[in-house]
Formats: sequence, C-alpha cells, structure tokens
Amino acid sequence: MRRPWRATAAVAALMFTFSACSTGGTPAPASGSPGASAGGSASPPASSYDPMSVSGTVSLSGWQSTGDEGKALNKVLDGFRAKYPNITLDYQPVATDYATAMAAKFSSGEPPDVFYVDSFVSPDWIDQGVLEELGPLAQERGFDTSQFFPGYLDAFKDKDGKIYGFPKDGNTLGMAYNKDMLTAAGIEPPTTWDELKTAAEKLTTGNQRAFCLSSTLDRALAFIYQNGGSLFSDDKTQNTVNSPETTTALQTYLGFFKSGQGGRPADLDGDDWCGKALGRKQVAIIFEGGWLDPYMKSTYPDVNYAWAEMPKGTEQATLGFTTSYSIGADAKNKDTAWVLLTYLTGPEGMKIWTEGGIANPSRKDVPPAAGKEILVKGAEYAKSWSFIPGFSKINDAFNNAMTAQIEAKSDDPAPVISATSTAIDTALKQ
Amino acid sequence: MTASRFEVGRGVKGERRPEMIAAFALIAVPMLLFLVLQIGAIVYAAFISLWRWGLRGPRSFMGLDNYTSALGDPIFIKAITNTIYYVVIWVPLTMALGLFLAVIVNQKLRGQTFFRATFYFPALASSAAITVVWIFLLQPSGLFNEVREILGLNPLFRALGYTDNQNWIGTSNTAMNSIIALNAWTTSGTIMLFYLTFLQTISKEIYEAAAIDGAGAWQAFRSITFPLLRPAHFFVATLLFIGGFQLFDQAIIAGSKGGDPNNALTTIVLFIYRSAISDSEFGFAAAVGMILLVIIFTVTLIQRRVFGDAPSW
Repeated sequence: MRRPWRATAAVAALMFTFSACSTGGTPAPASGSPGASAGGSASPPASSYDPMSVSGTVSLSGWQSTGDEGKALNKVLDGFRAKYPNITLDYQPVATDYATAMAAKFSSGEPPDVFYVDSFVSPDWIDQGVLEELGPLAQERGFDTSQFFPGYLDAFKDKDGKIYGFPKDGNTLGMAYNKDMLTAAGIEPPTTWDELKTAAEKLTTGNQRAFCLSSTLDRALAFIYQNGGSLFSDDKTQNTVNSPETTTALQTYLGFFKSGQGGRPADLDGDDWCGKALGRKQVAIIFEGGWLDPYMKSTYPDVNYAWAEMPKGTEQATLGFTTSYSIGADAKNKDTAWVLLTYLTGPEGMKIWTEGGIANPSRKDVPPAAGKEILVKGAEYAKSWSFIPGFSKINDAFNNAMTAQIEAKSDDPAPVISATSTAIDTALKQ
Repeated sequence: MTASRFEVGRGVKGERRPEMIAAFALIAVPMLLFLVLQIGAIVYAAFISLWRWGLRGPRSFMGLDNYTSALGDPIFIKAITNTIYYVVIWVPLTMALGLFLAVIVNQKLRGQTFFRATFYFPALASSAAITVVWIFLLQPSGLFNEVREILGLNPLFRALGYTDNQNWIGTSNTAMNSIIALNAWTTSGTIMLFYLTFLQTISKEIYEAAAIDGAGAWQAFRSITFPLLRPAHFFVATLLFIGGFQLFDQAIIAGSKGGDPNNALTTIVLFIYRSAISDSEFGFAAAVGMILLVIIFTVTLIQRRVFGDAPSW
C-alpha cells in the first residue's frame, strides 16, 4: 500500500492519528453501559481477576507519532499511571522504520511488552509467532471483545479465529467531495455506481477531472467489494479473485482512468495519494479516510469539501484500516502488559485517546467525533485491510499490473486479475 | 615447524621484536572486527540462506530451495535486469562525466577552485535529501517540465512520446533513467576528484614532448591522458560497479518499498530489503544476498582481466 512517504506503517499511523473529534455522532448500538462490562460472548467469572492487584513494570512501543498524537497519547498514559500507580510504565517510541526495528527486536527475543501492530502486517507477525494469543486471557479475565467493530478486530485474528491484538482505533475509506464543484455541476454526492458514472461525466470539464483515484489495491479493493467481488473465500483458504464481479469492478475502475475522468495522483501532481489533488482543486471527488482532514485543514483550508459514504454497488462496502496494541510472545512482563493493553483498548482509555481529536474509536461503545460520523459509520460494514501471511506480494502484483494497464490506457482487467491470481495461489501454497 | 619459524623471526630481527608485537597488536583490533563483522556476517548469511528462517518460531532446512525459488521469481529477475541496466548505463556515463570535469578543472583557468568545489558539491549532500529534491524537480508540475515548456522544447518531447506533464519518476519507462541521471550528476563530482588526483601524477614533460611533435589537445588526450589513466579507470570502475550493484537509497526513496512504479525501481538490494523486512523471509533474503555477492565478485574479477593485473597506483 503506497501512501505519502515511505515507511508505510509509520504513515498509516499518521493517518489514524489526526482526525478531528469532539462529540455526538452515531450512537453506539444499545448494548449496556460503556463501562468494562463482561457482556457479549465472554461470559466468565470475571470477578476473580483484579487488575489493581498487578504490579511491576511494563514497556510500550509504537512508531514515532506527530506532535498532536504524542500529546494525546501522553494524556492516555497519564490516565493509566494515575489509575495503576503500582505499575511503572516505560514508553519507548520507535523513530526509525518500525517494521525494521521490530524485526530486530523479535529476532533477538526481546520485544517490548506492548506495541503497535499494523493491520496489514498482522497476519505475517501472527504467522511468525511473535504475538501472544489474547483470546483465552480475555475469556479468563473478563475483557469484552464484542464491542470492537468486527472489521477492525478481524484484522488481528488468525485463520482459526484466535485473537492476537485489540484495535486501538480505526479508519475507513469514505468519499470526500468538493461541494462547490458538485453544486456547479448541479448534482448531489453520488450514492450508487450509476450515480457515480453520471457524476464522472458531469464533473469532468476543462482541466478538472471528476476523480483522483489511486491505482493501488488499498483503494481499488473497496470498489471490488462494492460489486460483490473478493480476493479470498471467507475463510481465506480459496482464491476467489477470478470472478465476473471482480472483473466488472476493475473494468469500471480502469475505465475511469482510460476515459480521463479519473487520474492517478502521480499523474495529477506527482504525489502518491489524492489529498493534494482535492486541495489543488484538480478533482471533485476522492476516496480517502480521516487522515485527509488535518491535511486539508493545515494545507488547503479554503477548499470547501465534505464527506459522504462510499457509493453503493451491489453491496455497501468499504475498507477498514487499523492498528492494534498487542503483546509480544517473548514479552517479559505479560501480566502488567495485559493491564496496560486492556486499559488502552478498553472504553476508558480509548475515550481519552479519541476525544483529543486525534483518532476514530474502534469500539462501538465509544462515541465518534463530530464530522467523523460517516467514517465511523463505515466501520459497521468495513472489511479489514488484513489478509494472509505473505500478502504484500499479492499487493505488489496487483499494484504493478494496475500500473501497467493504466499507463497503457487500457481498461482490460484480465492481466490484473491473472497476476493477482497467480500471486494468491503462490501465497496460499506457503 | 612453528618453533623454527619463531626462532627465525627472533634470530633475524631480534631487536625489532617489540615493534613487531606492537604492529600486530594494532592490526589485530581492526582485523578482528573485520573477521567478525564482515567475513563472519557473510558466513552467517550463507548459513541462513539454507534455511526457512523467520523472525521467530520453527526453522526448517531447505537446502538450496531458497536459491532456486529466487532465481525462479520473476520480480527477482526484474530486479537483476533493472540493476544491470542501471550499472551498464550509469557506470560509463559517470566515468565519462567525471573524467570530463576532471580534465576541465585540471586546466589552468580562472576560478579553478570555485569550479572544483561546485562540481564536487552534489556529492556532499545526503543522498536522501537530494533524491527528494530530484523528485520535486521531476514531478508533473515540477521545474523540469516548466523549463522545457518555457524553452519551447515540448514538441520535441512529444515527438519522443513524453506528455507535457510527464511524471518522470512515477512512470515505468522513465523512472530508472531519472535515477541514473540523478546519480550520474551527484557521483560525477567524486569521480572527478579521483581522476584529478591521477591526472596530476602525469608528468608535464610528456605533454611538452607531444606538443613539440605537433599533437593537438584532443590527440594528447586520446594518446596520452586516457591510456595513462588506466589505473584510474580500473579504480573508478570497480568502485562504481560495486556501488551500482548496491543501488538502494535513491530507489527506495523515489519508489518506496515496492520499487514503484511497476517494479521499475526494484533493485537487487531493495529486493533483499523487501524480502527480509516486509516479508520476514530472512533465509530467502540471505540467499539473494549471496547471489549478489557472486555477481559483484565475478564482475570485479572480469574487470581485473580487462584492465590488467595489479594496477600501479
């Protein structure tokens, strides 16, 4: 997945980072109090476990955050220190490329106790055995995992459904549109693919294109899902990419490039995501997530844009991006780690974390922020950006084939599907 | 045997023994570091390359499977062809550019020091910073495209098949050439410096003799300077070949981990990095590293043949 700058994971972090928050929003489904209730699927004798009785030290690591994210995190960590004075917290952010730094720590058998795991790499890390399984502990100690949006929690499950991380926050793709341009064209934000195609025609005038579209799978897959297509069977054991649904979806997507109604960010302004194209008013509509807001606010404050849900094909679908807090399989302090983990991903810690205006909650019992309702609503039907071990090669195969088709100005999806299918078969065999 | 050798050493240079001990002691430290960190690392990598070796958890012996699957991986083949393409174009280009600059600044001209400093300057900038600047210059609305529009060169570029707002680094067929141009520019200063050092060892008398015989500037360069620079050519070419096969920073900064677009910037080292870091396949990555070792080793040997043995510098 290619996003601004190189360290993918680090950038993904930035993205979940800034997202204005405050009050209101979609009400959480009525499911009891927002406290740490032992509801849902977990129904244990929770009373036997008392986190207050745990003492010792715990180390926490994640990628280096922006100033605003750092402040919000410090607030949460202060909350933890105040609540658990018996636990000494040692926060050590990683300033360099996160995956590289963590690989070194894992292979030396000395990971931090609690750390970030990007949804995209989680299947690899789970497969490598570097993450601690959390399901039995949650069961035994009465931590309710049913409040997490499934599209986020699924990213940290292996193929048997065992859980290796709790999502700390999450983001979905939505449709950001330039209100003035839509008004000028006399249309409403498209809600279906048919409306999207009409909008594509009406919004492409002069130097203005209707869409900035990323050629990469981390955007295109949302459209594949919307048309009922997929990469894998539900249990992620079968290759399902070669289907009429996926073919049609990709043909439509490639068609926007071919017609010139959509342009890659690389061709529009040399950037590698679509924020700049919206900011420079080169396009009317882009498909991004909450990370767009702070960027627009700081760089292009005069652009009059708003969010809408992703257009519906045969299905309502979007992609969910998330990061977990997980415990290292070789962690030294697993008991204190559990206390920290459940505080950070529990309703209390997450409320502090998201109310600072930084991230969107991954739990249904933590209210979303103003302006974020649409993106948080997307979490209800989002599918996670997390697949199988070795997926990065499938991702590369898809992206490279797409690049070749777009540069050739072709809307034939066959080479893309064939390259992706081959890569999926190879990965499934391993 | 050992005893007698020891005897000889003591017998011949008895009075210099303390000196020798000191010398060996001083050599021992860097030698030890070299053996552990360089040779040791290579041996360890060779060992790892025979295993399925992840971050943690079970490791299984694979024999040469990592090597066969690397050589059967189309992306690795692409990484090799990209790297060879880069080396084949970039090395001669940089050598020519460096030699050209060296010959120029070796003349007695006004502001000689200024020119030397200016030509060397890009070599001082960090490769990361200068690559980012390059990306900005070559983007669709960047300086390069603006300037060629102002100069009215667009019809020429259109005839060559480039659009007016071509994204040079973001398009498959121009990405690697953009990096070659960047690195030829930034490295030529260093190469100029090497050539300059060798140029100044060539005796002025040879040129004077040639001038008396009626040789022009070009003839003097072709018949005297160029052949006498043979050790310099060998030195510079070896350096550039090794550096070229290790192309990484510019590739990852301009093309990210994926070597985008469409693996146009995937080099062998970037491929190793991706296999190890993104895919956690350390055994596979080590196997690719060993293949790279063999490639560089072979090329260097061939070079020695081409330029002759034991260059006299």
